[in-house]
Amino acid sequence: MLAERLADALGADAVKTAPEDLAVYAFDAYSESRLPAAVVLPTSARDVAAIVRLARACGEPIVARGAGTGLCGGAIPAAGGVVVSFARMNRLLELDPRNRRARVQPGLINLDLSKKVAGAGLFYAPDPSSQKACTIGGNIGTNAGGPHCLTYGTTVNHVLALELVDDTGEVYTTSLDDAGYDLTGALVGSEGTLGIVTSAWVRLLRLPEATRVWVATFGDVEAASEAVSAIVGHGIVPTALEMMDGLMIRTVEAAFHSGFPVDAEALLLIENAGFEDDMDDCERAIEKICKANGGLTWRTARSQAERDGLWAARKGAFGAAGRIAPNTYLQDVVVPRTKLPKMLKLVDEAAAAHDLTIGNVFHAGDGNLHPLIMYDKRDKRQVAAVVDAGDQILSAAVDLGGTISGEHGIGFEKRDTLARIFDDADIDTMLRLRDVFDTGRRFNPDKIFPRGASCAELRP
Amino acid sequence: MSETIERLAPASAEELAALLASCDRDRRAVSVDGAGTLRGIGLPAQAGDLHVSTAKLKAMLAHEHADLTASVQCGMSLRAFSDALAAYDQFVPLDAPLRKKATVGGTLAAGWGGPRRHLFGRTRDYVIGSRIALADGTLANAGGMVVKNVTGYDMSKLYVGSCGTLGVLVSVNLKTLPAPKASRGFHHPLPLDSRPRAFAQLQSMTATPAAAFWIEGFAKEFGGHDGDDGRLFVLMQGSDAFLDRATRDLRSGLGKAGVPETHVVDAGANEAFERLCDAYVATVDERSITYRSAGDPSDVEGRALAMRALARRFELRADSICDVMNGDAILRVSDPDARGFTAKIEIFDDALHDDVPDAQVIAGDFAGRSNLNVWGAPPAAIDKMRALKLRFDPNGTLNPGRFVGGI
Repeated sequence: MLAERLADALGADAVKTAPEDLAVYAFDAYSESRLPAAVVLPTSARDVAAIVRLARACGEPIVARGAGTGLCGGAIPAAGGVVVSFARMNRLLELDPRNRRARVQPGLINLDLSKKVAGAGLFYAPDPSSQKACTIGGNIGTNAGGPHCLTYGTTVNHVLALELVDDTGEVYTTSLDDAGYDLTGALVGSEGTLGIVTSAWVRLLRLPEATRVWVATFGDVEAASEAVSAIVGHGIVPTALEMMDGLMIRTVEAAFHSGFPVDAEALLLIENAGFEDDMDDCERAIEKICKANGGLTWRTARSQAERDGLWAARKGAFGAAGRIAPNTYLQDVVVPRTKLPKMLKLVDEAAAAHDLTIGNVFHAGDGNLHPLIMYDKRDKRQVAAVVDAGDQILSAAVDLGGTISGEHGIGFEKRDTLARIFDDADIDTMLRLRDVFDTGRRFNPDKIFPRGASCAELRP
Repeated sequence: MSETIERLAPASAEELAALLASCDRDRRAVSVDGAGTLRGIGLPAQAGDLHVSTAKLKAMLAHEHADLTASVQCGMSLRAFSDALAAYDQFVPLDAPLRKKATVGGTLAAGWGGPRRHLFGRTRDYVIGSRIALADGTLANAGGMVVKNVTGYDMSKLYVGSCGTLGVLVSVNLKTLPAPKASRGFHHPLPLDSRPRAFAQLQSMTATPAAAFWIEGFAKEFGGHDGDDGRLFVLMQGSDAFLDRATRDLRSGLGKAGVPETHVVDAGANEAFERLCDAYVATVDERSITYRSAGDPSDVEGRALAMRALARRFELRADSICDVMNGDAILRVSDPDARGFTAKIEIFDDALHDDVPDAQVIAGDFAGRSNLNVWGAPPAAIDKMRALKLRFDPNGTLNPGRFVGGI
């Protein structure tokens, strides 16, 4: 039996099979759950290689897991398979301040990395809202973003080299400095379907000399969206450009008391980081654009504590939604930035058509919307309506030239909608890549690809 | 390449795909390029039966300037592309040599990493979507026209830098950026004993240079005097306020390092930068080879010095560029005597790779290039790369033998 063989190889302490332990790993932040046969907690790449070899010998699937904060079911176990938790591989292994990079284990928590390197005047840029809990390994799996990736780019822009275990249990490395195909780039964002990362070299950035955070309010989301388009259209790409609608302003304010004006119907949270010399000009330009587009109030955060408070409120917005409804469903779609006003209208229409409340807190600067649908899962009508409204929002984004995930991934949830973006030929190229890395479809099966998508079925 | 090789430039993606499919069926090898400006990278493609160029696929398909995105056919020249973007004060930092001729697709396929990448990110980070023609004639899309996208695998990452061995890029979608408002160039003669401190100052500046180089030689391509022990060229880009600040900081930092004087140019700073990018692939008749060693900025000076010292030992003329911010050491070796060059270069190549295993050839028309270790040390994941090639191009139709490990 696999669990016994794993315990023999890694020690009994590394393998969990008790029902109460398995239950903890049965789900992530998505609504579905499935019990694995065993959970393993490796402490080294060698352990991971042993796990892969044993699972392969027993014909069992493997799902790698960071903190389980993923919203699309990417870390839901494969029925009966093994979950590899990186809770015990959470160290910063090496810091190279001069070359501004660090080697980390996959279980290291995102925010902990920035805290650990702050003393060297550095930080790790990708900052998903869940950064207090989510891990670098999980971030690599989903190519995670965050508010500041507007300027700094998503996780893939910050991964320099990977150590992985392949489907045969071999440990190998890829690096951006190597000649040959950019395997590192292709592996980031593959949601654990191409191998298991056991360590990564990541790029660190220098802490900016100056940071300013501003809050602009508007009478409606359309005006705020127009301001976003105008800011970017004027050649200003701030470090972060986030939007919140009236419902979310009031919800967040009740929870965090950040001083957001509760009578506003839309708000932009804008940050620019860089050189002190540029800040006054930048502030004047953005303020002017906001006012020209219907801006009602303008506030500059005066201290680091005030800036931190505003960001804590933004990043805690989805948690605060628990005040409005017992359950929430968070959608993740992207549209070209100039399509934001139209897309927000379509989100409103979806809410009205299904008699649901939808809040919006999102990365406006890069067109990445996160409609938050409120519901009560005990009400079957509402559950069905949420599914339909979510789907309507996806379709609307696709119709506007956008896509079905900007930063959360496809996972289990959206696999059957992948074909709305890509045709068989497009998906077939992805499966060719997968053939090289995971011939037996043992790594995180039934994620990303539509049910029934195999090379044989897609190819004439 | 043989004289009888057939040359075609398809006028559409579909025509190109059909041509590839027909060659693949008939087992005819196809060599592919854009304008051929980076043909010095890697091995020459084995004598194929057909040469395909993307030269006729040169339209701007879309420039959504308010969205900061553009879609462009791969045969468009970098110059035409950047001119179109400049009309809206935008740019993409592709920074490849010979911009007037070089194509967008060729630059991406070669995986060219420009000297501003430490500041703006790698070329591949700008590719948000692509359309590729595979050897079997399949036309496939990846990514999209949005700036943030995790829908399925990001296949474009594989195509960028694949030297046309997985498929032929026919169009790409790119993120654009607001163009820097102004540029300023700084030329400094560099006293020998100041070099390590100057490098450290440049690498730690808060007002980060857009590019910084230590140049020895390349007098014909970049000016200066052959007798110089070396000189620095630093490019600063940003707002006027930033340039004022950067000028102060640079003078102060380099002054501390013992660099005595600075010659500042505003007009012509970008042109000087372009000339330097061109020098990366400038050849000396048919008796020069240019190597690039990519590595850490912290040890770039050591690698550059080791490479130059070796060239001297072999009595080869050495011209070098050191990209201080990114850690690239570029060395061109040449010999006025063609026979002497032929006699020395293979032994030099062996000796160089003993010292600097990763050094890759990036330019040189030398006929014996195939005998050199043009890709440097094989990557750790070479077996995966071979498997990938086999899965995308099982008959070995596209650019056979051009890539790493004979792929």
